[in-house]
Amino acid sequence: MESMTHGGSAIDEDLVASEYLTFTLGSEEYAIDILKVQEIRGYEQPTLIANAPPFIKGVINLRGIIVPIVDLRIKFNLGKVEYTPFTVVIILNVAGRVIGAVVDSVSDVFSLTRSQIRPAPDFSGTFDTKYILGLATVDARMMIVTDIERLMTSADMALIDSASE
Amino acid sequence: MTIDMSQFYQVFFEESAEHLAAMEGLLLELDVENPDSEQLNAIFRAAHSIKGSAGTFGFTDLAETTHILENLLDRIRKQELGLRADMVDAFLESGDLLRDMLEAHQGRGEVDSSQVESICSRLRLLSADQAAQVVSDSAERGDVSCVQTAKAAKRVFDIQFVPTEVSARGGGVANFLEELRLLGTVEILSQPASDMNNVGFWQLRLVTEVAQEIFSDQIDFIADKSAWRVVEESAKDQTDGAFGFFDDFPGEPEEDQGFGFFAPLDAGANVLVATQSSSADEESYGFFEPLKQVENGSSVGAERVSEQDDGYGFFAPLPSDSTPQVLAEEGDGFGFFVPIAHAPVSKAVVASVDSPAASVAVPAEKKTNEPLARATKQAIPAAAADSSIRVSVEKVDQLINLVGELVITQAMLLQTAGQIQQGAPERLINGLAQLERNTRDLQESVMSIRMMQISFVFSRFPRVVRDLSGKLGKQVELKTSGETTELDKGLIERIADPLTHLIRNSLDHGIELPETRVAAGKNPIGTITLKAYHQGGNVVIEVGDDGAGLPRNKILAKARERGLPVSDQMTDAEVFSLIFEAGFSTADQVTDVSGRGVGMDVVRRNIQSMGGRVEIESMLGVGTRMTVRLPLTLAILDGMSIAVGDQTYILPLSYVMESFQPQIGDIKTLSNQARVIQVRGEYLPVVVLHELFNLKARSSDFTQGIMVVINADGITAALFVDALVGQHQVVIKSLEANYRRVQGISGATIMGDGHVALILDVSAIAGMAKTSMQKAG
Repeated sequence: MESMTHGGSAIDEDLVASEYLTFTLGSEEYAIDILKVQEIRGYEQPTLIANAPPFIKGVINLRGIIVPIVDLRIKFNLGKVEYTPFTVVIILNVAGRVIGAVVDSVSDVFSLTRSQIRPAPDFSGTFDTKYILGLATVDARMMIVTDIERLMTSADMALIDSASE
Repeated sequence: MTIDMSQFYQVFFEESAEHLAAMEGLLLELDVENPDSEQLNAIFRAAHSIKGSAGTFGFTDLAETTHILENLLDRIRKQELGLRADMVDAFLESGDLLRDMLEAHQGRGEVDSSQVESICSRLRLLSADQAAQVVSDSAERGDVSCVQTAKAAKRVFDIQFVPTEVSARGGGVANFLEELRLLGTVEILSQPASDMNNVGFWQLRLVTEVAQEIFSDQIDFIADKSAWRVVEESAKDQTDGAFGFFDDFPGEPEEDQGFGFFAPLDAGANVLVATQSSSADEESYGFFEPLKQVENGSSVGAERVSEQDDGYGFFAPLPSDSTPQVLAEEGDGFGFFVPIAHAPVSKAVVASVDSPAASVAVPAEKKTNEPLARATKQAIPAAAADSSIRVSVEKVDQLINLVGELVITQAMLLQTAGQIQQGAPERLINGLAQLERNTRDLQESVMSIRMMQISFVFSRFPRVVRDLSGKLGKQVELKTSGETTELDKGLIERIADPLTHLIRNSLDHGIELPETRVAAGKNPIGTITLKAYHQGGNVVIEVGDDGAGLPRNKILAKARERGLPVSDQMTDAEVFSLIFEAGFSTADQVTDVSGRGVGMDVVRRNIQSMGGRVEIESMLGVGTRMTVRLPLTLAILDGMSIAVGDQTYILPLSYVMESFQPQIGDIKTLSNQARVIQVRGEYLPVVVLHELFNLKARSSDFTQGIMVVINADGITAALFVDALVGQHQVVIKSLEANYRRVQGISGATIMGDGHVALILDVSAIAGMAKTSMQKAG
């Protein structure tokens, strides 16, 4: 009886769809929880921060808030790093902080149910699998569903003083 | 219906803390020999307000303690008992205890209940002392004022009230009855059904010798304002035939909860200024509007019924029979009040204070004006309270942020207009100029919201000095000046601890014992001066004493003992600043009493973290003066913008000493690593900013750039930059809110063009210069 109820709620959860924003880095497509996204804006030249790692481009003024800008293309060594009027910054709201992430382009918003997100196989790459929630396929496109909050607050992003591992 | 009171707790805590602070300040000011009745009243009011709100919110421990305190205060203010120094002590101690209770209710700290008990019994004892004298006192003083004319003869009061639920259930009624029994014979005429938990209508008959004021406050405590009335039955006989006396007393208490009712004045058309003005409308909270009665007027003159004013703690709700009689003097409209022989008259008059007629009435009745004057004074704080509102700091900060944004937007518009080819239309330019002025005004006004008077901090020191000087057996007088100097709220909160420390220090180690002082030919009473004033963009706070001064030689000797690098050639300022070294003084017997400057390193650190600095001047045998310099606000900084490569940085102006263009050969190297530059005979370490920040400089040729001499934490260094750009007032923004701490950067700001500029952490940079020099050396 009990297992039945459990099974039932699991099915319910599987049917609940969350919305994901997808963006591309090089040829790869990533999906992040849209609730973490505050806004999307064009790239503007940030103010350099001395002795910061190269993927931290600096800080910008976002309506009075000082927001650090991370170039994910540099961080993950993907795509061509160039800044054009079409370069996009996704302003994320994670862990109570506002952080800007530079990506190649923003593509779509998808609704994905939990059952559509398949666990990712173990693979070695620059992108640590612990930040990957799974893989999803929509219209024959594979998307890497990313735990953006965990990624941005991780120690290797060097964005937060006492970063958790 | 129950209302969740907890949402108002914070307001209660804040208000009570303010009342306590006010009470303490007044107690300290009070001249024991000859207490000012206004001050006594103010103290009483503070205690009364705390009691009232504590009762409302159900903090019974607070309410009970304050109640006892208030009783004693009340008797003192009615001159039934002379004020004594031990009473002031007891008051101060109970104030401390109340503060502890408040803290405990806020979840901080605990209250020692035995302490509460002891102070309560002490207050009761002090109060009982006098209670015996009450009757004889008031009889002797029968002619002093109408309050004291309360005859020693038996008086019969008819008391009716509906207690509040809180007090009824909390046993407040039972307590009240008990207290009444102490005053005289109590007869319960009617009371609520026993299953009502005392909630309901009560009617009592009290036969007593004391004046109504003695117990009317207590009724006020347990019953809602205007849900009670006291009628002196014999008072009705006192009606003076010469004046119309309007007895409006109905058999039942007013059920309309605080709506003043006016005796229907239906006859006549003669309207008197005094009449109108004193018949305040209960809903206008002390603002008086001409009343409807203006038209109706009253025939006999001015008799009218006092209103019950609703919701104002200052005005004790009036029993409706306390009819002040206002006599009209035909022609000029001045009213004067003939007090009836019982107390509420004075309270009734409160309502009329705002009117010109009433204030004229005060001098007009010199002889009987004591209660009037008292009432007049009571009304003043009410007006003051109306003129301010309580707003959370976040809201103000949000406003400041938004205005900051507006300033930036305005600057951007101005810049864009300047870039328009062939010049922008004149109307646009004019409009923008006006916008600029307005935004600046707006910014200034908004910033001033956060400003508070430093008296907020200073007010606690008389107590510190009083307590400590008593403990140390020293005679000390505290003089303060410049209490109205304004400072940012954030700074006010943080300066209190360091200042307390400095004052304690002056008292403990600066001021000598009276005998020593006399032997040195000084006044046995030492003086500590506390002074605040503006100087440039700073607020300066001086703590001075006329004590022994700092012994330079002993400090030097001690420093050598501790292996600190000192020499006899050091200036006095340098020697004295040694007492700020961590751990320097704690174990040190600089003076005979104890180590001067316990925790002085903490003081300096706190002040520096506020962007301020502290200096000492001292003369042996004459005194010591500590000068604390603070920026006006934490949020705004006077900065110099400098260019390095393509980046702009802000250098806080307070650290900048001078700047100059170096000549060829000015810069020397030390062991081929560290660079130094000679400035007026002194060798300063050179910090090259583009090297420090790994930037590409416009030129690495020193003669093409600018040297800025900075001084922080006693270290002087020369900072090499590409160019000086300008001077700005910048709004400090946190870099850590969304990013992390960056070495050498203290914050960020937004420039006129909307770009971010980083603010240099001069202390850290100077520290780097020092370490690099030490490495090289």
